[in-house]
Amino acid sequence: MLTVEKLTKVFPGGIVALKDVSFAVSKGEFMAVIGLSGSGKSTLLRCVNRLITPTSGRIIWDDTDITKARGPELRRIRRRIGMIFQQFNLVKQSSVSTNVLSGRLGYVSPWSSLLGYFPSEDRVRARRALEQVGIPEKIHERADTLSGGQQQRVAIARALMQKPQLILADEPVASLDPVLAHAILQYLEQLNREQGITVLCSLHFLDLVHRYATQVVGLKAGELVFQGRPKELTRERFREVYGEEAEMATLGKPLD
Amino acid sequence: MNPRKQHLLIGLIALIIPGAGHLIQQNFQRGLAVLISIPLLIGLACWQETPLVFAGAATVWLWSAWDAWRASVGRPTKTTIVPFLAGTIAVYIVALAATDIQPARLISGFPSIRPILSALTSPDILAYPTQDKIGTAPILVPCVEPLPRPDVQGSRQTILLPSASCAAVDDTVRITGLGFFPNFEGEMWWRNPIGDLQRLTKDGRPQIFKTNEKGEFSATIKIPLAVPISALPVPGQTQTHQIEARQHKAYGQLQPTETLRLVVTKMGETLALAFLATVLAAIFAIPIGFLAARNLMGAGKITLAVYYAVRAVLNIIRSIETLIWAIIFGVWVGLGPFAGTLALLFHSVAALGKLYSEAVESVDPRPIEAVRATGANQLQVIVFGVIPQIVPTFLSFTLYRWDINVRMATVIGLVCDAGIGFLVIQWIRLGSYNAMATSIIAITLVIAVLDYVSSVLRRHILTGVNFGKVKTFRQYAFRIIGVFVFAGLFLWSWNVADIRIDYLVRDAGNGLRLARELLTPEILTRPTELRSISAEIRTPRQSCPADEVMKTDEGPGIRLSSTCSNVGEPLTISGEKLPPDTRVYIRWQFPDGGELRVKENCCDTDADGRVSLETRVHSLADSEKHDGRPTRISIQWPEAVGGFQLSEAIKKTLDLALITLLMALIATTLGSLIAIPVSFLAARNIVGTGPLGSVLYYAVRTVFNLWRSIEPMILALIFATWVGLGPFAGVLALTLNNIPNLGKLFSEAIEEIDMGQVEALTATGANRLQVIRFAVIPQLIPKFTAFILYQWDINIRMSTVIGFVGGGGIGHQWRVWVQLNQYAAAAVATWAIVAMVWIMDYVSSRMRSRLV
Repeated sequence: MLTVEKLTKVFPGGIVALKDVSFAVSKGEFMAVIGLSGSGKSTLLRCVNRLITPTSGRIIWDDTDITKARGPELRRIRRRIGMIFQQFNLVKQSSVSTNVLSGRLGYVSPWSSLLGYFPSEDRVRARRALEQVGIPEKIHERADTLSGGQQQRVAIARALMQKPQLILADEPVASLDPVLAHAILQYLEQLNREQGITVLCSLHFLDLVHRYATQVVGLKAGELVFQGRPKELTRERFREVYGEEAEMATLGKPLD
Repeated sequence: MNPRKQHLLIGLIALIIPGAGHLIQQNFQRGLAVLISIPLLIGLACWQETPLVFAGAATVWLWSAWDAWRASVGRPTKTTIVPFLAGTIAVYIVALAATDIQPARLISGFPSIRPILSALTSPDILAYPTQDKIGTAPILVPCVEPLPRPDVQGSRQTILLPSASCAAVDDTVRITGLGFFPNFEGEMWWRNPIGDLQRLTKDGRPQIFKTNEKGEFSATIKIPLAVPISALPVPGQTQTHQIEARQHKAYGQLQPTETLRLVVTKMGETLALAFLATVLAAIFAIPIGFLAARNLMGAGKITLAVYYAVRAVLNIIRSIETLIWAIIFGVWVGLGPFAGTLALLFHSVAALGKLYSEAVESVDPRPIEAVRATGANQLQVIVFGVIPQIVPTFLSFTLYRWDINVRMATVIGLVCDAGIGFLVIQWIRLGSYNAMATSIIAITLVIAVLDYVSSVLRRHILTGVNFGKVKTFRQYAFRIIGVFVFAGLFLWSWNVADIRIDYLVRDAGNGLRLARELLTPEILTRPTELRSISAEIRTPRQSCPADEVMKTDEGPGIRLSSTCSNVGEPLTISGEKLPPDTRVYIRWQFPDGGELRVKENCCDTDADGRVSLETRVHSLADSEKHDGRPTRISIQWPEAVGGFQLSEAIKKTLDLALITLLMALIATTLGSLIAIPVSFLAARNIVGTGPLGSVLYYAVRTVFNLWRSIEPMILALIFATWVGLGPFAGVLALTLNNIPNLGKLFSEAIEEIDMGQVEALTATGANRLQVIRFAVIPQLIPKFTAFILYQWDINIRMSTVIGFVGGGGIGHQWRVWVQLNQYAAAAVATWAIVAMVWIMDYVSSRMRSRLV
């Protein structure tokens, strides 16, 4: 259970990214976060693993107040939350295996990891994670030699290495073509259904929301304007969230 | 043979022949690496006599045997770090020995640098004009009876009255002075009978007096012992000394000093040189740039040949530093601004030609296609499709070159009498450190300002200032004024740079001889032995015999016009069948064993091996001391014996070229080691935007920018004074120059870090150190390595000339050879420099393109 209570984030310079946002996600849900660019989706996701510290409000996850955590405690929380990004954010100059193994950084001994040493069970696990995402043969290649879809799979493998109970996905398919987008989202759906991992995923396309999500929240200028089941998200409600241009908001025709 | 034995055999072979173990197993990469590195390391160890390096070679050797054995049994090792470390450490040990790194000399040499450092804080810029008032009064030391009149008069304008006209050493005397500057201080001095001045002291400090409002004072002085004890007067005698009271008063307004005026004049000359060279170089380089562009010249066979020829010549010219060209042109047309301009021009034409050609090659074909598609003819295509693309890049490159030329022009005077560098080297030789400091500060400031101006202008040009259209009358007027200013500057520069094109023709002989010698380096020489033949010469007193006939039918011969002459009578000495075109030495050989050249700087044989010299019979030939023994005249010449060998010049050049490479290696290493930590302080995303961070950021950046403006040649000059001449001074200068250059590049790379990667790793729960290790360092390593390689490349170029001012390496020997007119030897060094720069340029660009 992840509960967000009156979450507000004001950036230096007075930009209000989130305003009194409250909602709850039960364990095992696939929640889509929708909204225009700049509506606060990324900020919301980053508040959950505290890449951004909120100005006020609370986020409670399994009875732990994430907003109060600091230092080692925060890192222990983070290692249970996997995150994948629009631009994949792989360390391009490192090998695929190093990138995947870096998902274990929160677990392994800090000092030996600095020398590049990882326990052999982690290495085995990394190979298995790459098999799971379907690219075991790429393990020794440099990350920047991979295509976009392959890079996103590596990023998912990295998140899997964390044994996450929650996955944050910040527009994971916005940089990919439609076929790859479905492949990645199907993969997230599979993790969600088979392993019961809660997924918080920001999406841009109405048809993707309908196809994959079990829950939807809509943000508009930092405020929560929609919460409910995907089937409640009609075209009209979708247009309310996105404004008039939402008409064409189906996959392959991005809004922005 | 059983497999076990076979494995051991492979190990054994690897022990006997380095690398063979790997080669047998077809691991060519490791095999060749070992095969090359072991002789290399042993060679280096023998070269610098560093026994420790043998241990490094042995480590690599043993490792290779072990590794070969392990590989043969099917368990290859992953321990390549062992030979790599051993090899690297060995190379550095050799490098440290070869470049004579002795950090202790930084401390022991400090006293000799202190005056220069303190002068840098008090440059000679402004001073008040001064007016002196000096009062003198004679005093006799010691007192004698009767007291003679002092043989010196007192002063006129001022009056100085001692209380006694004589005194003994250590007595005190009261002095009254009148007519001095009122209410002003002065110092008491003492002048001994031979005129040496010394300050009078009281309690160890200079004795100072102060006048009252009428310009009067009184003071008590103690008579000093002002002459050496050996020069004291005998008892009963006395000596006249003088007491001097001196006032030194500044008046009027601050005025620029003579130093400042000289610095300004010479700085003008420097800028003129750079301006003129850049403008002329741009004009010459434009056609060359087109000739060296592959996309224009690649079509036909002839044009391709022209392309390769132009490229080759440009590369050779470019790889020889401007300062070397300055010395070469100095030999041709004489030292001075003209030689300096020619050197700058020559190097700039080559550099700009290459840059222009690259601009032409990178022209985007799509706009050209678009213009052609509109139905434009060839000329229209060039005017509308090509020129708009290349003009901004050309201008930007030209400005960039101007920036470099100003830097070069400031130091070109270190080797040829042109621009402000000449003042620096003059003043350091004269020990006028304050004046030198003024010129160094001026150079640094001018470079820093121009660096800034040119970078702003370049950014302006590349981001699209419209040079094409003139809209308003004002813009039109500005443009006309601009043209006039430019023309005026050009004429002024032409005048200042003392352009004498006729000198190029007048001294064409010099130039041709130089070119011929530079193109025929002295690679092989035959060892020579001195041979000589001699003939007797007698005077009538020594019983002239009948004419002695020299055997001339075989071998060299000597003939005298007369074998019996009186002293002072004319004599012609001629030799024949000597080696042609060779310097021979003709000497008198006196019976007592003394020898004397008949004529200095003499003589050379002609193409047929003949030589002839007219002289007169030497007076010593008839000396009575010789007891009637005859004097002989000898001709001595070197005769080649044995086969050809590598010349001395080649051996020296190889030695020094290696030292130069290692100097660059050590300087790059040290510079990087220091620059890496500092660069993080100059990266905005590391220090943050807080007040402390901002202060740190701007402080480090400013220091970097100013520091970068100090030319390495000037640093070398200073370090040569500090730690002595030699490679160590050069290494220090290059290191100090590299820190800000690398620091700037590094900090820019740090600022370009992709924060997404940092964010992703933070999200996995990694701690800060882990984030740096896994997200930051992998991003930085390739870029840093590329910058370091690039800097090594630059360092090799610089270390070829840093020896001109005492920085060691090949430059010093090159200059010595030129000064001794041994151009064939200098040619060897020149070609070695070209080869070295080329190879490094190639290696470093290959490695960099792999990295990025």
